[in-house]
Amino acid sequence: MSADVLTRPGKKPSPRSVKVSPKAPKLLIAVSLLIGLVSHGWNMFRYPLYLTDEGIYMEQAWSVLKEAKLSPYTYFYDHAPMGWLALAGWVGILPGGFQAFGNAINTGRALMLIVHLASVFLMFETVRRFTASKPAAFLAVFVFNLSPLGVYYQRQVLLDNLMMFWILLGLYMLARRDGRIVTAMGAGACFGLALVTKENALFLLPGCAYLLHKTIREQSNRRFGLSFWWFALLAPVTAYLLFAQIKNELFPEGLHFSPDNNQLKGHVSLLNTIWWQLHRNSNSSTGLSFTYLLQQSWLFKDRYILIGGVAATVLTLISGRRNKRLRTPMLACALMALGYAFYLSRSALLDFYIAPMVPLFALNLGMFFGWLTRRTNQGGAAVLVACLLVPVLVMPGGFLVKYNARGQLEFSDAYRLPLTQLQEQQVAWIKANIPTNARLIIDDDIWVALHDSNPPYKNAHPHYKATSDPDVRDKVFHSSWENVDYVVMSNKMRDALQRGGETWIIEAIDQHGQTVWQATRGDVSLSIVKIGNTS
Amino acid sequence: MEQLVLAVLTLISLVLTVQAAHALYLMIYTWDQPEADAKARVPDQRATPELSFTAILPARHEEEVIQATIARAASADYPPHLVQILVVCSADDVGTIEQARAQVSALRAVGRSNVDVVVFDDGPINKPHGLNTALRHATSDVVSIFDAEDEVQPELFDIVNTIMLSDDVSVVQAGVQLMNFDSNWYSTFNVLEYFFWFRSRLHYHAKNGAITLGGNTVFFKKDLIERLGGWDETNLTEDADIGLRVSSMGEKVRVVYDDRYVTKEETPPTLQSFIKQRTRWCQGFMQTLGKGTWKLMPNRRQRFLAWYTLAFPHVQAMLGFYLPVAMLSAFVLSVPVPVAMLSWLPVLLLGAHFVMSVVGLYEFTGAHGLKAGPGTVVKMALTWFPYQMVLSYAAGRALYRQLKGATNWEKTAHVGAHRTEAPELTNVG
Repeated sequence: MSADVLTRPGKKPSPRSVKVSPKAPKLLIAVSLLIGLVSHGWNMFRYPLYLTDEGIYMEQAWSVLKEAKLSPYTYFYDHAPMGWLALAGWVGILPGGFQAFGNAINTGRALMLIVHLASVFLMFETVRRFTASKPAAFLAVFVFNLSPLGVYYQRQVLLDNLMMFWILLGLYMLARRDGRIVTAMGAGACFGLALVTKENALFLLPGCAYLLHKTIREQSNRRFGLSFWWFALLAPVTAYLLFAQIKNELFPEGLHFSPDNNQLKGHVSLLNTIWWQLHRNSNSSTGLSFTYLLQQSWLFKDRYILIGGVAATVLTLISGRRNKRLRTPMLACALMALGYAFYLSRSALLDFYIAPMVPLFALNLGMFFGWLTRRTNQGGAAVLVACLLVPVLVMPGGFLVKYNARGQLEFSDAYRLPLTQLQEQQVAWIKANIPTNARLIIDDDIWVALHDSNPPYKNAHPHYKATSDPDVRDKVFHSSWENVDYVVMSNKMRDALQRGGETWIIEAIDQHGQTVWQATRGDVSLSIVKIGNTS
Repeated sequence: MEQLVLAVLTLISLVLTVQAAHALYLMIYTWDQPEADAKARVPDQRATPELSFTAILPARHEEEVIQATIARAASADYPPHLVQILVVCSADDVGTIEQARAQVSALRAVGRSNVDVVVFDDGPINKPHGLNTALRHATSDVVSIFDAEDEVQPELFDIVNTIMLSDDVSVVQAGVQLMNFDSNWYSTFNVLEYFFWFRSRLHYHAKNGAITLGGNTVFFKKDLIERLGGWDETNLTEDADIGLRVSSMGEKVRVVYDDRYVTKEETPPTLQSFIKQRTRWCQGFMQTLGKGTWKLMPNRRQRFLAWYTLAFPHVQAMLGFYLPVAMLSAFVLSVPVPVAMLSWLPVLLLGAHFVMSVVGLYEFTGAHGLKAGPGTVVKMALTWFPYQMVLSYAAGRALYRQLKGATNWEKTAHVGAHRTEAPELTNVG
């Protein structure tokens, strides 16, 4: 639908409706998708290492499909369930189920690849429609496709990636500016789905709401558009609250809120979990601080997107103020990045919480570039994009290549290292050497591999549940090494045990354990520890 | 047995969800589709008056308002020699005839000879029979219908002349709007029903070739109405019936709704008269459904839309039973979580309906220079459910009357609550 026909008689058409073609440039989008397919698809089943949280979401998707529950353990509303419901839907339509791509996490990663490619299209069109610049759109998705930080985390089965897909879809709908109520409603529903995929989307709300209000302010149907954006946004959230209420788990028992969710009496409670999460900070045991992760992990993985992204966000915030056409989307994109950065700087974090910043920085980069080259012809802007991108592509330590320890040039780890083979070997060893009735303490990354097998390892439980879930702690292991046969150690699981105060498991390993299998590659080390006198 | 109950609950929830979503969409159709919205507008440029118009004013026991209505129609902003006004009354309605003839005399005194009173003394005494009687006296190219209490916009003939000449359509339905949104507890929703119906939904029906026309401010080429054989005198909603007959002939209908040019009306003054009016409409739809006009539509989509519209009073009657039971079961029935979540969907759409109504209220008052405050919204929140129950009661009552074979016309009283001052009669001839 042409934007021109939407202009009501007597109203001055906006500059945007004149300049932006409603037709997407197919070739540029195809190239962008191809780059995304290669950068995210190549070696994605082998790198990075399967993460605990990937395992958690896949085991919860497994529970949806196999047990018609939201979690194989007590679901305590740590996250809204839309993310793994989507994963379950994906697995449900695959002929091979969880094994369709070799194992459960691979199957989840295949969905992440599709989600990434869809996000590439959405980001390209969003930036192009807002800035009327194809080079700006290409720049944004190029960085989104090749940022090592993005490649690392967006390959992983993370709620953050699904959340950002919904956000980008909502932004794309608003960027279409087709003047329709159902589009505004769809954008609102996308934002609502983002919220029930991962609640952190709340920090993107100011930017999104600002964009919506400004976008439809001059439309004759703005009252309906605004009302139904908010209505559609709140509908999934209300459904989530209603779900908790139906299960009588909205409020804590007797309305006694507890700052420590693990100490909550009676049943679990959605509102108590939110309260508990709001009071968590980086001093607590459940996460790390922003500065620690920035220095120890994120800058090491990709300093270009972080430095460039921060600069682009600040410039986007201040530079578009006098441009009527770009002011609103630029400010909105900057607000979204700043909102999420605010969250990251205040909360207790895990390594992968940075993932949404990659598309947000890429968006801001594209928007700023669009503003910067607003008076440049498309050819000149394209040359400028090439000048910006070629160095980060060919420079060692950039997006694609690096020097190895012997001083030889090679592709970055993401395209080369076969790290997950270690985890596959670990599972293979368990299946070959440990009886299925053994009591195992594991990490979530191999949970589905052990439970979705025939016969399943029904007594294999994550270490966190073995410490905190009364059903596992008190009924299976009784917090005693005598009730454990093996501890299957994932990479850095010992750190997690220490951070989580899971001392009885550490003591079981140190005082009663014997390592029976171990595999190491670089700084990645996995092991299996036999506890006590198990035969 | 429990499985069966759950299956039925799930099925009802799904059907209600789909139906409600569709109905809600039709309420905002023109707001959502900018092209449809543009098409609904009155053209800015006007054609030279060419077509002649016969305005039929069927009246029964309208002594209080008929003179003002005649005066308004006579003061239309259109060459008087191209306008014929026919007030049609049953011979037993002496009071209305007297008032109408007095107004005709007054008009003649100022040189306006294009107004007549047509009196019939045969049966049945109802609106379609009056229309058919007046049709025999009509001499113009286009026949239009206005109700006795209507506040006719002076530019309407000019507008319809332009549309019929430029769009090559034989039927034009212009907007009708109840105005007294703050008169009583049910008037807000009643006004909004009209607002959404004429401002939005009818445009969807017109586009898809299956339209139940309104009872007034509707314009037909005279030769079309003659080919159709006039109005069905046994039908309580002869307007809906003739709309579907027009559609089944493949004739295009143009609907225009422009806030400036709507025909203003009033909500029925008492709850009793409101229920009677609604009962008649519902029963008329039931009659039309039974008559099978919808089966004559050229394609399946049209047939479905017509059937769906005509069958809705049946659904509404059943909702009267279902809604209280559903609300009660929410407290007493224990169902699995997925079923409970699914049954939440229709409730969500009820919420959407309420939001839509509130937004519609502000759209309506904004368009007509009126003012709605938060108090009206609170009133709407409190009266939403009782209003739905009244509608369901009327639909149930219609169903009962239809099954019993009671097909007499229950007339609605008019007091002129929407009226602005009647125009002063001047010699414009």
